[in-house]
Amino acid sequence: MSDKRRAEILAKRAKLEEMRKAKAQRQAEADRRTSLGRTPPPKPDDRDLDDYIIKIIGQPRGVDTGELTPSIPGTPSLSNIPIPGTSHSGRASRGSNEGSDRLPLDSSFGRYTSSGTDHVVDHTLIPRVTVDLIDIEQELFELPQKERVLYNKEVQTRDLSDENDADAAQAEVELRERILRERLAEAESAAAREKELDEESVRLEKEIEAEIRDLTEEERTIILGAPEFADFVESSTKIIQRALNDNYDYIRDYTLGAESGVDDSEGKRVKRVCAFFDERYGKNRSITDVDWSPKYPEISCAAYNKNPAALNEPDGLVAIWNLHMLERPEFVLHSQSDVLSVTFSPFHSNLVFGGTYSGQILLWDMRSKHLPVLKTPLSAAGHTHPVYAMQMVGTQNAHNLITSSTDGLVCSWLVDMLAQPQESLELIHAGHSKTGEVAITTLDFPNNETTTFMVGTEEGNVYQAHRYDRAGAKAGLNQYDVYKGHTGPVMGLHFHPLVGPVDFSDLFLTCSVDWTVKLWRAKSLTNASGPPPPSLSTNLSSSTSGKSAGAAGSHAAAIAPIYSFEEADDYVYDVKWHPLHPAVFGTADGSGKFDLWNLNTDTEVPIVSTAVSSGRAINKIQWDKKDGRRVALGGSDGKLYIYDIGDMGVPRESEWADMQRTVSGFAGAGQGGYGDGESGTRVMAGR
Amino acid sequence: MSVPTGVSNASTTTPPEIEQTLAMLSGHRSVLGYMVLSRGGTVSIIKHSGVVFEGEQGRKYAGLIERIVESVQTGLEEISGEQNEGDEIRFLRIRTKRHELMISPAERYLLAVLHDPSS
Repeated sequence: MSDKRRAEILAKRAKLEEMRKAKAQRQAEADRRTSLGRTPPPKPDDRDLDDYIIKIIGQPRGVDTGELTPSIPGTPSLSNIPIPGTSHSGRASRGSNEGSDRLPLDSSFGRYTSSGTDHVVDHTLIPRVTVDLIDIEQELFELPQKERVLYNKEVQTRDLSDENDADAAQAEVELRERILRERLAEAESAAAREKELDEESVRLEKEIEAEIRDLTEEERTIILGAPEFADFVESSTKIIQRALNDNYDYIRDYTLGAESGVDDSEGKRVKRVCAFFDERYGKNRSITDVDWSPKYPEISCAAYNKNPAALNEPDGLVAIWNLHMLERPEFVLHSQSDVLSVTFSPFHSNLVFGGTYSGQILLWDMRSKHLPVLKTPLSAAGHTHPVYAMQMVGTQNAHNLITSSTDGLVCSWLVDMLAQPQESLELIHAGHSKTGEVAITTLDFPNNETTTFMVGTEEGNVYQAHRYDRAGAKAGLNQYDVYKGHTGPVMGLHFHPLVGPVDFSDLFLTCSVDWTVKLWRAKSLTNASGPPPPSLSTNLSSSTSGKSAGAAGSHAAAIAPIYSFEEADDYVYDVKWHPLHPAVFGTADGSGKFDLWNLNTDTEVPIVSTAVSSGRAINKIQWDKKDGRRVALGGSDGKLYIYDIGDMGVPRESEWADMQRTVSGFAGAGQGGYGDGESGTRVMAGR
Repeated sequence: MSVPTGVSNASTTTPPEIEQTLAMLSGHRSVLGYMVLSRGGTVSIIKHSGVVFEGEQGRKYAGLIERIVESVQTGLEEISGEQNEGDEIRFLRIRTKRHELMISPAERYLLAVLHDPSS
């Protein structure tokens, strides 16, 4: 490449030379106009030449250069004057022309015209003017003057204008001045051009120097080892990967060609958007919890448990995934023990909370690196058992993180003070026949409630609990209202999100290992059962006799579900209501199936059932918070599946009324015919 | 004129994470190659991959990319003037008829990726 450049530079230099020559020639021509015999030469340089010439030629005839620019016809006198060819050598290219220039008269002028660069002079053959003396100047080239004797073979007589000496003299003076001026102008322009060329050649040389050069191995090693290089690679590859994933070809021309691909999105299809899986971090791990970011709708996170095969990797991981970057997680956060639950902080866009197998609660900041920024201590003040459920309650200014572990301890934490819980509450089931401990597997708060919540336990019962003492009830578990229905551990519990004209927020769904999903209505606080007054007797028992909860609040009773969904044929691991549609919810089961239900359409079977991962269980579901179009499914194979349900989650106006009717249909049928003392009232075809 | 003296793509001491990340990049289905340059003073190729960035053509691309980034940066500085800190380039995406060249410049380094969006 630089060869080319060098060649270019050379070419430029050659051009420069030519221009200089041209300029010199022009000046020479101008000089030629000046009479040889002029005593005061117009320029100091000319003086020498003039002298020299005079010496050689003899007296100038007084004919002058008057004919400078135009119409300076060949002076016949010129012919007589053999002018030494000064500075010929410098004008190699014009040698012949020079020679002819010496020759006065028409012929010479004819040749003048032919010399291309002499645009200064346009020659009209007006043989009016005086003799044209050939005065050759060596302004540009300091070359020794070469003596050259030339004879013009043409007209050898002098011109007629010889006679007009006086005029000639005057004209001479004027012309001399003009010549001076023009020369100056020419010199300036030539100087400017020279400068330009110089600059350009300098630039070219600089370019040659600025060539791409190779790194030595040492330099390369140094660069590759620098931490800032690693950071640069991280951030820039993330940006590029996100840009690569943007598949829209924005220069597509829609007027050309027919699109062969048909978009086959029907209304009733559940489509897989992507499956996030990281080779390094997801192998041999299961996803234990999933959450969507409240601030950035494309960001989701998944919590992973231990990889038993890799002992050097951290036991617990949280990976933050971006829908626009499918190959790798945005961030990977580490933990020392398996992370069982994770949630984004709804009030700070960068914070992620996690609850672990060891009972520690960790707080990560996405802006810092892998390790948690805050941890709860492993002490008796906090949890010492696995934390399977956590929830953030409160408002922007006053919020708490509520966590629960399998020993029945429910703690409430302040976000910035994880050293000890703000309050801790041990849920004890006093009246239980076997043990007072309540093994909490899942926990949920009704919408807009911060003090009363429901817990699901390992034995299959669901209890209501209060964080604080109220009039009439102490803080803790309400043992008198047992939501009895499941025969296996309750894996998921979700309250109906409060949205829309009708309030269904007392409905909640539970799912359990006993292959069923049940719909319940929570008793309101005022209705909650309290300890039975001593006078009432026989019907009351908190044990297994099934009775539907009456409106009388003072009975400790077992509360039966409103409805039970029996569709699944494997453990049902999670159930979640749709955030916008009142009658839609999704379930995930152990055979890798994701069922989408719409109670207004059909209460017996799901409307869409999708096999998400063949054979591997889906552990957790979480609906996208913004518009509920997407759902994140965390699988036990370590993959996070994102599905798009399209328009099925978009509620119409009538949905609420329909749902109300559905629910009252359930409840009515439940009231009407209940089972015979069996726990878990079954409702047959509620609608 | 610098003659390529053993421009080796895989330097022996690339840290594995970087290697993996860049391999993931070049493994993308539409990516034809990438190039990591170091700026500042003279431009040098730190790492590159892909047929399209081999040898002489790679150097041409390197020179071209550096000139583009320089001229855009200069233009930005001219526009934004002296008072504010000036805008700086974060990302350049040049879509030509055949390819798309994505350039992510930083202060001292630069990552350029050539890919074919229609594949």
